[in-house]
Amino acid sequence: MSLSTPLRRTAATTARVQTSTTFICSQCRHATLLRRPKRPYQFTQLITMTDGSTFTHRTSSPVPIYRTTRDTRNTLLWNPSSNKLKNVEEDEAGRLAAFRAKFGRSWDANTPVEGEADAKASESAESKKAAAAAEAAAAQEEDDNLLDLISSFGQDDQHGSKKN
Amino acid sequence: MAASETSRYLARSLPRTLVPSSRHQALCWRRNASDQASSKAPSADLSDLESTSSLTTTASQDVIKSFQPIERSRARKTQLPRSRYQFRSPKYDRGPLHPHRPPPPSDPSSRLYVPGPFSLPRVEQTYQSTVASDILTLLYVHNPPGFKPPVKAPRLRSWDDSSPYHKNRPLRGPRGGDVLRLLRHPITFNNIPKLERITLHSYVKQAAWEHSGWLHVAGMAIQAISNVRVETFKSKTSVAQWHISPGRDTVAVKAELRGENMHHFFGKLVDLVMPRIKDWEGIKGSSGDSSGNITFGLESEDMALFPEIEVNYDMYPPKMIPGCHITLHTSATTDKDARMLLSALGVPFHGKLVN
Repeated sequence: MSLSTPLRRTAATTARVQTSTTFICSQCRHATLLRRPKRPYQFTQLITMTDGSTFTHRTSSPVPIYRTTRDTRNTLLWNPSSNKLKNVEEDEAGRLAAFRAKFGRSWDANTPVEGEADAKASESAESKKAAAAAEAAAAQEEDDNLLDLISSFGQDDQHGSKKN
Repeated sequence: MAASETSRYLARSLPRTLVPSSRHQALCWRRNASDQASSKAPSADLSDLESTSSLTTTASQDVIKSFQPIERSRARKTQLPRSRYQFRSPKYDRGPLHPHRPPPPSDPSSRLYVPGPFSLPRVEQTYQSTVASDILTLLYVHNPPGFKPPVKAPRLRSWDDSSPYHKNRPLRGPRGGDVLRLLRHPITFNNIPKLERITLHSYVKQAAWEHSGWLHVAGMAIQAISNVRVETFKSKTSVAQWHISPGRDTVAVKAELRGENMHHFFGKLVDLVMPRIKDWEGIKGSSGDSSGNITFGLESEDMALFPEIEVNYDMYPPKMIPGCHITLHTSATTDKDARMLLSALGVPFHGKLVN
């Protein structure tokens, strides 16, 4: 025990001698100010959408209720299937269509109007009803197609993933 | 003569090194069996130790009797000042070796502590209730039992040892470019892509050659719409036309939104602002950094559509409202997954989708 003491002491002295003299930073104050994070004040705002639905959110705006005039509920980009938003002209008497048929040029010549398309669809449906046997056969075929679709679902994806 | 003197000095100095110091012995607590055997007699070392235990008291009985903390606190009429019972974090962090360390930022007594969240944002509720499970279903890949995925080539190629110089070289990068893309792990219940953070960034070039008011207005506008204090940045590149030189001009403003702030901002961006942008078809499908982060820009007219700016539009000097870049950082590792997540949350995309 008495022998170990001087040995340890020598080790300590050598360590002190070998300390590196490289400066990592030129000026180290070793004290960083801990700044309190700044949190702007927030209000709770009720937002009323155009279809009447509401939700609250936190915002820096002090207005308590915000009514939107245009949002995701009445914009075509978010409702691509809505006919109300599609900006379709109302032409019940067919006068606009008649005008277009007479004087229409390249871009507005014979533009299919929505009503005509519906009429065509109904006509085709009537013709289908007339041929009942054909319809039954078609339904059977459709069922088969559906079954094929179900059974083959996911196989293409698997092939794709294998390729990747 | 000289030799005898040196020997005398040596004789005097030698035992000094061999004399055991009490300090070291007191510190050395390890005890070996050999130590026990060699030191049979309790030598003079032990005489340095105190004979009494440190647990025995030296205080007089009067002092002990008069110490009644509970009585004292009951007798107190007013409450103690706050500084007597509340811990206050030090103002400065003086490094890991300083005895007075500040508590971690998660501790409410820390100066860096940010309380919250105080609300459950609508976007987050939507994500938790519907979007997450939808994405999990859509990205499910069924593997029949016994299916073994084909072995992929290693991402980093090794060198063929055709040349002796190939020894100890680091591995080569992937074929056809240096970029090592992120790995896409199969999406399971615990890595469903989610919104991680949103960065608003605005580069105001006029701040360099006009006054700094441009930067202040940009900072206030971005803070108003995001509820986050902005950081300013100096230019890294030099732009001769705008008289911008690197490191000199403070030209940019950034706000990073996370958590509650992020969800509220995303909600109002999608529900209120995007539908009102004129002639806007959606985010370009080619946008994205191919690792799941998608960026788009808003013009200064579009920034005025945010309800926070709209409510006091007159506060901002005309024509000084900035445009900004918005980066939506998702935890998805491919743009395809990120786009699926964002379109489920209501962000439209247009054009050719590039992954």
